[in-house]
Amino acid sequence: MDKWKKLTASLLGPAAAIALGLLAGSIAIVIAGGSIVETYAEMWKGAFGSFYFLTSTLNRATPVILVGLGAAIAFRSGFFNLGAQGQMALGGLAAALTALYVPGPGWLVAVVSMLVGIAAGGLWSAFAGYMDARFRVNLLITTLLLNYIATLFASYMVAYPFKDKTGSAAMAQSQMIDNAIWLPKLFKGMPAHVGLLLALAAMVVLYVYLTRTVSGYEARMMGGNPLFAVYGGVRRTPLMLGVMFASGGLAGLAGAGEVLGSQYRYIDNSFVAADFAWTGIMAALLANAHPIGTAVAAFFLVALQTGGMGVEMNTDVPLEIGDVIQAVLILFITVKFVRGFRRRRKEGDPNGAAV
Amino acid sequence: MLLKMEGISKNYGDVRANRQIDYDLKPGEVHAIVGENGAGKTTLMRILYGMEQPSSGTIRIGGREVRFADPKDAIAHGIGMVHQHFMLFQNFTVAENIVIGKEPGKLRFDRKAAVAQVEALSEKYGIRVDPRARIVDCPLGVQQRVEILKVLYQGAEIIILDEPTGVLTPLEVGELLEAIRTLTKQGKSFILISHKLNEVMSAADRITVLRDGEVTGVLETSRTSIEELSRLMVGRPLAAMDKQPASPKEKVLEVKELSVLGSGSKPAVDSVSLHVRAGEIVGIAGISGNGQSELLQAISGLTKPARGTVALLGTDVTGKSAREFRNAGLAHIPEDRYVWGANKSATVAETGTMGHQRKLGKLGFLQGRTVKARVSEWIKQYAIKAGSPDNETQNLSGGNLQKLIVAREIAQQTAFLIAAEPTRGVDIGAMETIHEQLLRKRDAGGAILLVSSELSEILKLSDRILVMYEGKIVGELQEGEATEEKLSLLMVGGKRNG
Repeated sequence: MDKWKKLTASLLGPAAAIALGLLAGSIAIVIAGGSIVETYAEMWKGAFGSFYFLTSTLNRATPVILVGLGAAIAFRSGFFNLGAQGQMALGGLAAALTALYVPGPGWLVAVVSMLVGIAAGGLWSAFAGYMDARFRVNLLITTLLLNYIATLFASYMVAYPFKDKTGSAAMAQSQMIDNAIWLPKLFKGMPAHVGLLLALAAMVVLYVYLTRTVSGYEARMMGGNPLFAVYGGVRRTPLMLGVMFASGGLAGLAGAGEVLGSQYRYIDNSFVAADFAWTGIMAALLANAHPIGTAVAAFFLVALQTGGMGVEMNTDVPLEIGDVIQAVLILFITVKFVRGFRRRRKEGDPNGAAV
Repeated sequence: MLLKMEGISKNYGDVRANRQIDYDLKPGEVHAIVGENGAGKTTLMRILYGMEQPSSGTIRIGGREVRFADPKDAIAHGIGMVHQHFMLFQNFTVAENIVIGKEPGKLRFDRKAAVAQVEALSEKYGIRVDPRARIVDCPLGVQQRVEILKVLYQGAEIIILDEPTGVLTPLEVGELLEAIRTLTKQGKSFILISHKLNEVMSAADRITVLRDGEVTGVLETSRTSIEELSRLMVGRPLAAMDKQPASPKEKVLEVKELSVLGSGSKPAVDSVSLHVRAGEIVGIAGISGNGQSELLQAISGLTKPARGTVALLGTDVTGKSAREFRNAGLAHIPEDRYVWGANKSATVAETGTMGHQRKLGKLGFLQGRTVKARVSEWIKQYAIKAGSPDNETQNLSGGNLQKLIVAREIAQQTAFLIAAEPTRGVDIGAMETIHEQLLRKRDAGGAILLVSSELSEILKLSDRILVMYEGKIVGELQEGEATEEKLSLLMVGGKRNG
């Protein structure tokens, strides 16, 4: 009963924001000279209009959900992780290299590649946590700046040492991995792969972790009032390192899944271009870091993006219409964020929760 | 009659905070309102001060019916309020704080005139302040005088004092009562809200008692007693406390030469040595800000001391984390329930789980049902008004949250308990329960370190009393020899026999 109340409460704000986002979108459509009804109908079709489009949306949502869950666990514990982009790049790169160079049966290599992807993203994120514990460097800044190092490092790796020289194209990308290692598709000929099931499983695990386990309890209390948690015997540093590892690990898994299930190689800049990381972080913020809410929000945000592509294909309205709606949503998140921050400032507790 | 409130009722949803309350005030009178937490004192005053609208009832001032949309209206009708927590700008001077809102000067703020006006006001009412001092440099007693002068400057005839003595030293309390007497002679009237019955008895002419939103008595101070008042407040006679002499055993806490750095050059805790034995309550008396907070943090694992050692049951835990202190046998009722003691956005059950979470875990999973059953038990045992364990902690009143924290920490069943301000802001009934529980823990062989700014509480519970002054222990008194006078003297740095 109460859990449903909490879930609906966490979805109420986003629903209002979405309604206003669609309203703002309508205005933009009118300015662009399109018909509101027709445009939104095309958007719907682009996202869910056929089984292919639906699975395509689900496919794109897979990494976004994983990143969102990673951001959610960090936010709920009162830590910031804005480094999903870099963690995802390292996870994808590490998974691709493992899949290319580790011998063994396909399924085993796939599993190992994903684990290596998780470890790569997780350690990169935990490194930021270590710097907070050791040198008191703000996580907000380190996670953000480590993005540049990670993505540029991954770019370099596939542009020089591990560049695919077999093809004629001069793209910065790794070689294609053996198709025995590819993650199986959920439906034949459709884009969605088993990574989606992993993402949903991660959602359930995270939900159970936060609501049912001792460690999840401690993490949430740390997020609500860190002084209270420390007073009650929660050790901040180990908890933070664990949470940051899990958070980055989920981003790493997102990258690994994308490589093993969709692109079959690490292509430079492909994650950044698709905006997986920031969409995922936005989903977590939009849903107040509730695991199930985050997954729903992630799916919705991705539907806006794939729907926007449908709009551009079939009408004169540009695909940026999805961005307009998303921008309004970001605006609402920012308002909520700043208000929460100012409230905590008033209470004299700037170290309060992230969300 | 200067002020007359008739049939005031106020409902918040289903909660009836005030029911048909009548209250009046004569010129030059001190009419106190007493009652437990949640009895409706604050609601009534918020209505009078224009911060809330009554659901029904009328307010008359000088015979004319009035309605206040906001505090500005109330101030215009000569009502002033001194809040429990002072509302002063710390970095501005006394004079600037007093004239705010009605500054002298046309375009430019005339500082000289402000100082002159404040001096005149201070002269007229016999309340001494230095108009040029900055608020940060003023002790709390002076800050309170500034608040009183501020409402006088605004032209108040009726002054509401909300729990005015909570933060004051015994000396400052005396000065406040003196100021009230001077002002009433000049025709000002006071509404004194308090739960400290002895102060009310010495300051008020009449006393209105509230319980559960209703008036249970209006009494002339000269014809009543503390016993009668507390019976009207609680609704039953209070049991006399049965405190047996202590029989202390082995040392549970042993602190040696402990020093904690302060913000300035002086250490906050200066080479303190003390011990607490099993089966005794050791009280630490002192004016707040003399190192008690820092001492407590150092002996609960929340700050690292600069020097010295802390041992619990023979285990050296100096500089360890709070988890290790708790594992070694610490439970801790923190002095600030919101900063350390609770997570406002968590449920009551979750706030009540802290410190127990590892004991209530099975294979890493929290036993949700056991937790809720326990918390429900505490809710019953301590009469906590919490609704259900699933309610949010921030909906609890301060006193009820305090009871929850006390219940949680006593239930840790550890050898050692720190009880810092265990009854701050709780009502008499709850205070009785908490004191009883502390004594029961002592009798069961627990070692308790009690830190309180209420001397009466220290005297009532302690078997041994230490006095802290400027970071040092400046005196130790046994239960029998300690009196309020002796302690007060030590607390301000006086010599024991001086």
